[in-house]
Formats: sequence, structure tokens, C-alpha cells
Amino acid sequence: MEKQLIRDFEKSFENSNLDSKKINFKKEFLNKFIKEGLPGKNLENWKYSDLSKIIKTEIGDLSFYNNISPPNKIDSSMYLSGFEHNSIVFINGRAEKIDLQFEEKDKVKISEDFELEKTSSNINSLVNLNNAFTEKNFVLTVKENYSFKKPLVIYHYTNKKIKSQNLNLRLNFELEKNTSLKLIDILDDFSEKNFINTFYNFKLNQDAILKNYKVDIKNNSNIKYSFTNIEQDKNSLSETFILSSGSAFNKNEINCNLNGNYSSAFVNGILSLNKKKHHEIRTSVNHLTESTKSYQLIKSVLENNARAVYQGKIFVSSDAQKTDGYQLSKAILLEDTTEFNAKPELEIYADDVKCSHGSASGSLNENSIFYIMSRGLNYKEAKELLINGFLLDVINKITDEEIKNLIKSMIGLKE
Amino acid sequence: MKTESSQNSREKEIEKLKKYKYGFSTDIENTKAPKGLNEEVIRFISNIKKEPKWLLDWRLKAYQRLKVLKEPNWQKPKYPKINYQDLYYYSAPKSFKEKPKSLDELDPKLLETYKKLGIPLQEQKRLNNIAVDAVFDSVSVATTFKDKLTEKGIIFCSISEAIQKHPELVKKYLGSVIPLTDHFFATLNSAVFTDGSFVYVPPGVRCPMELSTYFRINASDTGQFERTLIIADKGSYVSYLEGCTAPMRDENQLHAANVELIALDDAEIKYSTVQNWYPGDKDGKGGIYNFVTKRGLCKGINSKISWTQVETGSAITWKYPSCILKGDNSIGEFYSIAITNNHQKADTGTKMIHLGKNTKSKIISKGISAGFSDMTYRGLVDISKKADNSRNYTQCDSLLMGNKCGAHTVPYITNKNSGSNLAHEATTSKISEEQLHYCQQRGLNSEEAVGLIVNGFCKEVLQQLPMEFAVEAQKLVGISLEGSVG
Amino acid sequence: MLKINNLKAKVGEKSILNDFSLDIKPGEVHAIMGPNGSGKSTLSNILSGKKGYDVSGEIKFEGIDLFSLETEERAHKGIFLAFQYPLEIPGVNTNIFLKTSLNAIRKARGEKELDALEFLKLVKQKSKELKFDEEKLNRQLNVGFSGGEKKKNEILQMSILNPKLSILDETDSGLDIDALKTVAQGVNALRKKNNSFLIITHYQRLLDYIKPDHVHVLMNGKITKSGGPELALELEKKGYEGLN
Repeated sequence: MEKQLIRDFEKSFENSNLDSKKINFKKEFLNKFIKEGLPGKNLENWKYSDLSKIIKTEIGDLSFYNNISPPNKIDSSMYLSGFEHNSIVFINGRAEKIDLQFEEKDKVKISEDFELEKTSSNINSLVNLNNAFTEKNFVLTVKENYSFKKPLVIYHYTNKKIKSQNLNLRLNFELEKNTSLKLIDILDDFSEKNFINTFYNFKLNQDAILKNYKVDIKNNSNIKYSFTNIEQDKNSLSETFILSSGSAFNKNEINCNLNGNYSSAFVNGILSLNKKKHHEIRTSVNHLTESTKSYQLIKSVLENNARAVYQGKIFVSSDAQKTDGYQLSKAILLEDTTEFNAKPELEIYADDVKCSHGSASGSLNENSIFYIMSRGLNYKEAKELLINGFLLDVINKITDEEIKNLIKSMIGLKE
Repeated sequence: MKTESSQNSREKEIEKLKKYKYGFSTDIENTKAPKGLNEEVIRFISNIKKEPKWLLDWRLKAYQRLKVLKEPNWQKPKYPKINYQDLYYYSAPKSFKEKPKSLDELDPKLLETYKKLGIPLQEQKRLNNIAVDAVFDSVSVATTFKDKLTEKGIIFCSISEAIQKHPELVKKYLGSVIPLTDHFFATLNSAVFTDGSFVYVPPGVRCPMELSTYFRINASDTGQFERTLIIADKGSYVSYLEGCTAPMRDENQLHAANVELIALDDAEIKYSTVQNWYPGDKDGKGGIYNFVTKRGLCKGINSKISWTQVETGSAITWKYPSCILKGDNSIGEFYSIAITNNHQKADTGTKMIHLGKNTKSKIISKGISAGFSDMTYRGLVDISKKADNSRNYTQCDSLLMGNKCGAHTVPYITNKNSGSNLAHEATTSKISEEQLHYCQQRGLNSEEAVGLIVNGFCKEVLQQLPMEFAVEAQKLVGISLEGSVG
Repeated sequence: MLKINNLKAKVGEKSILNDFSLDIKPGEVHAIMGPNGSGKSTLSNILSGKKGYDVSGEIKFEGIDLFSLETEERAHKGIFLAFQYPLEIPGVNTNIFLKTSLNAIRKARGEKELDALEFLKLVKQKSKELKFDEEKLNRQLNVGFSGGEKKKNEILQMSILNPKLSILDETDSGLDIDALKTVAQGVNALRKKNNSFLIITHYQRLLDYIKPDHVHVLMNGKITKSGGPELALELEKKGYEGLN
């Protein structure tokens, strides 16, 4: 892989307008990645999801060179309909179109900031890979006291032109004081057997509100990894929702640093998997100062050889008195071919805190099925109703009504 | 000036003794193996214990394996590198060269030691209904109530004696739960273990009394590597307790025991530990490294193994008493109280491996950290594909006192069976001002109040202990936290 | 309407019901009283089709062999069980659940399914009659309901689903007097020429409000004594031990 990486790196930047200093800087990331390689199960973080092995067996050799110069045609059918929104369209990792038609021009800034990479040098090998190959480092800034009028949908579209390829994508968001942004990520894949590596970095200043909804429901054979870092200042709020279902493999990592008093973070997720899919959600919520709050709810429904993993950590530093941290994961195993792994972790160094976690996994409750059947529904209907209710519980945590309904209709949940 | 400072240091000594009342050492002449870890030392140990060749070969095999093993480094408490060549692996009171035939032949100093510990070995002063095996440094010094147990066919003796008298049982079961190759400290133990207890309960026998071993490290620079093997044959029951103390020494001492339990069809083993090794002084100097491997195999159908532990001592504790639930309908339980204060560190928990059908496990863990200490609960529950209709319930609660200490909960949960259910709950909290105020208003001082509340917090686990131990454990809980409230 | 002949039920090796026979005619209200562990709940479980029992004997509901019907088919035919411990079903909205049930039953009977508006009207009316706080119907089924609310919710479901045979399994236990009256009111409102009830209870106090036609004493899996409403009062005075 090493030779391939060096070759593809050179090819990627031979015609680039980056100066040699910047390219050398990227090269450092490349060398770090070469040294560390793709993560495998020898790392605690990757204990339940051996990415190196999965890529080897599912894809084989990866190509790291992605020719992003020729533009792709946007097919208008990919847009969500009946739902007013701003959009950014990525096709095969290339930013094709940015459309912020509903927003005031001087309140939103899109720029490139190279320096940002420095802030993310020690996260993990995949972030290093990302930093090595992403040519553009976009920053979307929401100016002070401005709230996005409509949600921003980011379409991550891939088509058949790419195969066995590694795509790297990085976006940065800065929410200045007292701003708000609703962001929806739609993964829409027509390609097969690629490894897609995404890195989002959010900075939430005082009183900022971020709502990020990540939707992966289209069946596809791609392998995905996404790392989201959220830095939160005083009284800011982040809500992350993950609907993880479509890709062959998907690991979503959320790292949230509650740096300011009264900041809060919510992470909710659904892993609805079948057909040998293997998805993971890993969170670490770090309470670093007083009076912060976090809440996490992750539910999985598994059938047909699927595997779900939840690793969730609440960290409370000794300065973070009056922390309120909660975390719950539940899984329903519909068949013996499925597997659920959980590692819910608490690491606490302050005493005046309220922290708890729970994890439960098992079959559907037969008594509940019986109760429903005694009211006239058959076994299949009773089962569906229960699963529906089980998942609805997470969907109902979505605080934006319009997006809640959108997501409900996407997965056909009834209420 | 001089007098004053010696006065001071005396006071300090007294102060120290008050905190850890088992901190005296006994002046007894010892026979020791030469310092260091090598084949010669292993041969020396095996020879002095007159072991059969198969056991010496077994030890040497473990030693070969040890050479390629690395010390585990994934546990949270880190410790300075141990120089294994600078330790004694065998130490026995000189008067023991020939094992005394009866208690009358015992060195009076030894008897005195156990008396100070509250463990009378002379049968006229014996504890009610508890048979005691006392292990002093590396050897078992006395076993009480032998006759009464022999009547029922129960074998309760030191493992050295069992090797001589019941080699077929030892050969069959030794290493059958903790294999030679398991991990560094377990393998080290297999190479150099010196003594420990052996229990065999024959089919259908309900052991009429609690069996107990009392471990004492006395000699300095000595590692203690005891080995305990308990076999409950079909339909039998046994309850076993162990207690441990050590003198206060400024250097750290290594204790790496292996305990193996085997329960056959319909058998039940209850294993309770009150671990009170010297924890080091309040600045973290000295104390025992307690790196213990304890594992039980529910081999037969309907078998049950229940671990209860009260861990208050040691500078570093690193242990996971586990159950392998192989037999259908077998049950594994783990009840734990772990308390760390000052600079103590503990990384403890359990593993419940569900292999058989209808297997059940229950984990109740209560961790309390105070001072500058750090406490980790680490546990694994694994329900395999074939373990239909299995259940696990886990409850882990942590209590923190102050913000200089840490509580870490790290459960690993795997479920591969759709008909099995797993539930895990964990909380972290502190003693509320209201609770303290309430108790104080009723006339308790703050330390008494804390002791009371903490005992309440631990109640579910304390209830599991045999009565004789429960009282001692309750006191221990209070004492361990002394000085932790301002 | 319901005819039980020589019903035997076992769980594993343990025999729970023994030669149990009972005949309920249309419009009748039967009360079964018995001490703990006499087999009362087993009876209601078997009638509603719960699995896990080893049964023999015969149960006919309107001439049909009940054992040939699945739980939901029994519901379609008009058997309703008010559970002793109504289950909490997280995530499932009570109203939606009720509407789904009602329409499943109506569909099986060849009746027109109710649309949202018609259903809402029905629920409004029934809730009002039973003084059930309508707002609770928008919550998850039984989640966060008090013991009394759960029981009242069972009675509300009963009056909406309009069954032919209602089995009340210790519906009165743990209820205060007002809730008890509401339960009785629900039953009495449904009490018609063709609707029958089987009231399983520990105490006779519910029977002060719902006058039974027949009272049976269940002990050790068998009916040991039958009589009119006066038997319940006798039981109250003498206790189960006092009967012979």
C-alpha cells in the first residue's frame, strides 16, 4: 500500500496550485498515515470493527488518487422534494454546487482555510489520511446573530465512475455567537466498493445551536468512516442524529468537547441493519467544565447476519462539577446470526455529578407481542408495531419538527 | 530537638498503625530460595516441596512460556517496572523445614501472629464453624477441623499436601481453568507457585462449615504466589472464604495468585474474599501489587459459581474473578465492593462467558473512590451464539468522594444470541449533603455518617458474605475511608 | 357462549388447572374467586391464547374450538382480556395502537374500518364516559401511567373494542374506590343481552358494583364451589379456609 499511497499522492498534487510548503505539510500527514496504516482490531477503538481487514476482504487494493478536475452533471432527481432547503452537492467527492438561496449573502461566508489542518493532527490515522489527500479545506462561517432560515442539505452523491477508490472529504463549520444551523447529510450512493472517509469539524461559539442529521439509508456496498469533531463554547447546544442503515460498513465517530459552561450535547442514533451489514457508532463526550449536559440514545435492530457496535464514552474532568451525563443503548436481535457489541464507558474525576449509562440487548418481548395480539393484531403486525415503537422513540428525540417528519417518511415509520 | 523529632516519628508510627492495624511484621527466621527467577529456583521450589516429576515439568513448561510473554499493559493503573530477578520466590519459616505434625509444634511466634490477626489456630479457641488454612509467606502453616471434614470425605488441605496425597485430583484439574499459557502473571504463578489451598468436595456432600484460608505476607522482598484449587463434585456445595493481610513496608510487594474453581453437575461453589493487603501509606509509598487471576468453570449442568469480594487493600489491585458458564442452566454471580483511598489504584471486575443454554449471570459492582485514588470497573459479558435463552444482569455503581479521585466504568458487552437478554446499568454519584446532614443531625460524626451511607450503598454485596465475614467487612469499609471527608 | 370442559393445564411438571369446567351463557356475568396461586391468571392466559402451557380438555367459544385459534383470532372473535399487569409498550402511541387494533378486528369481522375522524369521535365519547384523561391517549402505551391509569386504560380499550366476552383479570387490585367505580361503570355499560363477562378477582369488593350472576370458587386448579352473588359475601366473611 505504501508505494501506491506515495504514487497517488504525487499524482494528486502534481498539477495542484498549492505551494510546495503546503504540499510538504500534507506529506507529513501522508507519512504519519503510512506509519500507522489502516486501523485494525489491535486498537481499542477498532476492537469490534477491524477496518483494515474489512477493506482488504471487501475492496482489496485501494486507489487513493481521485481526479476531481472534470465537473459532473447534477441530476435534479437527487434533490429532496417538497422541502425547501439550501444545498451543497458533492459528486464522487468533488464539490459541484453550493446553493444558499434562502440565506442572506453577507451572513454566511465560505472560505478556504489551510491552517485548520494543524488543529487536527493527532486524532487518528484516518484523519491523517484525510488531511493528506483533501485539497480544499472549506470553512462555512455563520456570522454573529444569524440563524439559517432553511436547513442546509449536503448531498454526498457517488456514481459508477469510481470503484475501489478512497475518497476523502473535509468540511469545517464555524458558528459565531448566537447563531444556528440545521444540517442534513444525505448519503446517496450508486457506486460500489469504495472507501469514503469524511471529516467534519464544528466550532460552536457562545449561544450557537447546531443540529446535524446524518442519513445513510440507500443500500450500497461502500465502506464509510466519518469523524465529527464538535467544540462547544458557553451555552451552546449540539444535536447529532445518525440514521445508519444503507452502507455495507459505516462507522460514525462523534467527539464532542464541552468547553464552556452550560453547553450541552445530544447524540441520538439508529442502527437498522440487515444483510451482513456492519455499522458502528462511537461517541466520546468530554465534559471539561462546570454545569454541562449530555444525552445519548442509540438503538439497533438487527437481522440477517448484521452486526452493530456502540462504543460510547462520557468523560468528566475534575473541573466539571455539576455535570449531567446520560447514555442508553438498546438492541433487538431478531436472529441468531446477528451480533451486538457495546462498550458504554464512564470516566469520571469529579464528585458532584450525575452520570449513568444503560445498555440492554435481546429479543423482542414476547409478553408485549402477546398483549398486542390479544388486541387483534397478528404476529408479524405485532412485531412491526413493536420495532416501530422502539425506533420511534429515537426519532422523537429530533427537535426539529419538519426534519423529524422528513426522516420518518424516509424510513416509512408510522405514528 | 532530637527528642522532639523522634517523638514525632513515633507518633507517626502510631498514626500509621491506627490506619492499618495489620501492619506489624513478625521476626521469624526464614528459609529462602536464592533471589531471582530462573530454572534453578524453580527446581529448588519443586525439590523442597518434594514434588513429582510431572509437576516440575509443568512448572518448567510455564517458565519457558513466560520467557516469551509480555506483561499486560492494557489495564489502567500503571506500575513501575518490576525487577523479577530481585525477588525471592520462596520463603518459609525455618521451623518449617519439616512441617509440624500438630499445632503444638508450631512456632509460638506464628501463633501469636495469627492471634493478632484475629485468626486463632488452636482448635480450643477456634472460630465457630469455620475451618481455617493459614498460609504464612509461601507455606501453609496449619489447617483446622481436619477430622470433622475427613468424616464427610471432604479434602481441605494445602495444595502441597494435596500434591503428595491426592496427585490424581491435582493432575486432573490443575491448569484446567487457567491454562499454563494464559497471561503473564498467571503463567508466572504456574512456574513458581509455592502453596495455597486445595478443596475437594465429593458427590452429594454439602460442606458443613465455611472453609477459610488466611494469607499473610511477612518476609520482605518476597513475592507471594499462592495457588488455590477447589473442586465441587456432582451435587455438592462448598462455601470458601479468603482473607489477606501484610505488614507495612516501604517497598512494593508482588502478590500474583491463581485460583481455579470447578463445579460439576448440580454443584455450587461460593467464594468470598476480604482483601486487605497493605495499601501503602497515605502518600502512596509501599503496598502490595495484587495481580490475581481467579476463574471458575461451571463445567456441569445446573452448576453455580458465586464470587463475592471486598477489596479494600493493596496499592494496585488488578483482578477479574470470572465464570465460564459451560454447563446448561449454569449460573455465575459476581458481587464486588472495591474501595480505593489515598493513592490506591484498582482495576477490577469480572468476565461472564455464556456458552451453555439457559445460563444466567449477575454482576453487582460497587466502587468507591476517595483521596487521590483511581478505581476502574472492567467487565466482559459474552453471550455466544449457542447460549440460547441466557440472561445477564449487570449493575455497576460508583461513588466518588472529592474531585481528586477517579471512577471509570468499562463494560464490554457482546450478544450473539437473539433469544438471550442482557441488561447493564451503571451510575456514578456522590454522598449527598442532605444525607450527611440528616445523619449528623441524628448525632453521628461525619466519618460515622459516611461509613453508614457507604455501607448502605454496598448493602447488596455485603449481604452475600457469610455472617462471620460480613461484620468484619462492614468495619473495613468504614476504616478504609477514614480521613476521606474533610 | 364459552364452554370449558375438563381443562387441564401444566407448566413443565407442575399441574395448575385440573378438570376445570365452566359454562358461560350469553349475557351472563361470572365471577371466579380464589386465593393466590389457585390458577386464576393461568385461566385467563389460556383463554386468551398465551403459549407456554401444556393443556388438554376442551374450550369452545360460540361452538368453535378455541385451541385452533391464535391469540389475535380470538380477539377478532370477540374475546377481550383486561390484563392484570398491562404491559408498557414504549414508542407506541396509545391512540394509534387502539385504532390499529380496532380496525384489525373490524376488518376480520368484515366491517368497515374507521377513518381517523370517526375513530377520534369514538375515543372522545368513550373517554368522556369513563372519565379517562384524553391527553394520556397521546402518550406511549401505558408508559408512565400509574397503576390505576393502566387499569382504566384496559377498560377504555374494552369499551372501544366492544367484545362479546370480556375477561377481567384482577382488574380491581390496587384500585382506589373512584377507579373501581369507573371500572364497574365500563363493565355495566357494556353489559347487554349478548355480552358476557368473566371477572377474576381476589376480593368481593368489585362485585358490590358489578352484580354477578354466578360466583365460583377456584382452589388448587378446580372449581370447588359455585353459587349466586351471596357466595362472594360468604367468602368475604369466612375466608377461603372457611369454605368446605
